[in-house]
Amino acid sequence: MKELLDKQAKTQFEFYAAYYPPIYAKYKAYTLNELIDGIRKVDGLSIFYHVFHPLFSSHVVPEDMHNDFATWIRDELGDSLLAQTVSDIEGKEPKTVEDVRNELINILSEAKIERRANKPFYFITCKPVIYKTGKVAKTLGEFIDIIASISVRSIAYHFVFKRVMGYEVKNDFSKWLEENYGLTNVSSKLSSIDPQTHTDEEKLREDLLKIFEEEVVRK
Amino acid sequence: MIEKFESILGEEELNSIYNIAEKLKGISVLHINSTPAGGGVAEILSKLVPLMRELGIHTDWKVIRGDVEFFKVTKSFHNALQNGIGNLPQEAFKIYDKWQEINGNEIDLDYDVIFIHDPQPAGLIRFRKKGSWIWRCHIDISNPYEPVWNFLKRYVDNYDSIIISSPVFGRNDLNKPQYIVPPSIDPFSLKNRDIPQITVERILYKYDIDPNRPIITQVSRFDRAKDPLGVIRTYKLVKRHVDAQLVYVGSPAHDDPEGEEVYKETTEAAGNDKDIKLLMLPPNSDLEINAFQRGSTVVLQKSIKEGFGLTVSEALWKMRPVIGGNTGGIPLQIIHKVTGFLVNTPEEAAHYTLYLLRNKEERERLGRNGREHVRRNFLITRELRDYLMVALLSMNSAAAGT
Repeated sequence: MKELLDKQAKTQFEFYAAYYPPIYAKYKAYTLNELIDGIRKVDGLSIFYHVFHPLFSSHVVPEDMHNDFATWIRDELGDSLLAQTVSDIEGKEPKTVEDVRNELINILSEAKIERRANKPFYFITCKPVIYKTGKVAKTLGEFIDIIASISVRSIAYHFVFKRVMGYEVKNDFSKWLEENYGLTNVSSKLSSIDPQTHTDEEKLREDLLKIFEEEVVRK
Repeated sequence: MIEKFESILGEEELNSIYNIAEKLKGISVLHINSTPAGGGVAEILSKLVPLMRELGIHTDWKVIRGDVEFFKVTKSFHNALQNGIGNLPQEAFKIYDKWQEINGNEIDLDYDVIFIHDPQPAGLIRFRKKGSWIWRCHIDISNPYEPVWNFLKRYVDNYDSIIISSPVFGRNDLNKPQYIVPPSIDPFSLKNRDIPQITVERILYKYDIDPNRPIITQVSRFDRAKDPLGVIRTYKLVKRHVDAQLVYVGSPAHDDPEGEEVYKETTEAAGNDKDIKLLMLPPNSDLEINAFQRGSTVVLQKSIKEGFGLTVSEALWKMRPVIGGNTGGIPLQIIHKVTGFLVNTPEEAAHYTLYLLRNKEERERLGRNGREHVRRNFLITRELRDYLMVALLSMNSAAAGT
């Protein structure tokens, strides 16, 4: 593998990163039905914000809940079981925000909760601000080194955002590894990571690096 | 100046600000508000404007002028919007419009991006020449006195974007994007930077406070929304179990007759307990506030209505455990049982105060979490980056005609 690590890629990988400034989406829910209605109506970026953006530690969710919907259902509607199901909803490849939206609606539509929340769920959407990080990988070795040290904002943009928004079918990292080095096994292992269940960005980075360590560096 | 934030934020985080600012190089930005000093808006602008300039963005800050009559009107607007009180001076709308026109004719508005802060200068949009206009609303406009909101809304509708501090303040009757940008603190300001323990103790002794006994502190105006009587009750409930002291740090409100009334009620409720210190400090007593917060065992912000309540972040940054009212922007800062406790009544506040006074490890755990939460979310660099992004997105949507 050493030779492969130093081998020049056909196309270099340019690392971008993004922030997602939140915008009030003009929907709020006090009841389960209103929550379902909101989930139906908001744009895909709102689903991204509430379900995948908690990947960043700055987006606070309780330690045992993976997304905003689950947190609200537990804290305001008082249904822990439903909250856990919503918390663990699948978001790995090839699921997009539209798949997640449909699954959420299906799960919530089967629940029967009459309770009205004291505090509403405020739907928030966002607009990404994408910027160049200035980091470029020309070899596989450089690629792994950059992932180990770059802002997690960049990892989230390439590995999560573009794919879950449906702008790409596969995450950028897997795509690049396949196209430049034919590493389909590494690619599919990366694709099997579910970012929806990550609420600590550094843990996501660790999981990515572990695959590189086991499947590339040590081989 | 901005480089010194690297020690707090890390290189990558700071680089993201440079990278986003790069997209705005060469543009001109103007901030307009109603006062050059005093109050949270002027304080934040005094930090933000130099930082924006340092990033290579041509940034100016201008202040509108007005007479006593105008500022009475804008104060009544503030109360109408934030507290729903409909007590307006006669011909309020006419006076407001007259001063918008005076300022609109006097101030050079030839900038690429214009941030208008709060309702006082909101009507300047009538004099727009070019550029992207953003209304930065620092107050809660979710339950206003409708006639005032309807009057202002005619202006607000003409902005390209709006900035609010919390989703709780969002409005469904606006058709422009409402960006959520919470306020922030400057960790290097006199109010927030590290100060020696000897300074903390000197200031506590100066005000006859014993640093060797538990200290419960609330820093806020004597305003019913801050629930000073609830704070006294909380202290009295705690005092039955622990020999604690209460420090309530406010500032004189000569222009607020209700403030004096509330102060009087609070002193009556305090009675002759020598361990209750109701302090009236002059504005800009930043070092004293820093010392009181750092010297506290527990900090309260027991508001029953609140805009954002940035004193919570100030105390969290100093690793103090905070007990706050479950209202306004406080729940964004206090994550219940993680960075502090959210309460609704003096009894709840007393319960958690007592728990914290008895439990040093828990105080330290909440303090550590609180500082990290503020580091990630409520420092001025985050607000700076948010402003840059809103400017960028507003310019882009103006260019796209959306």
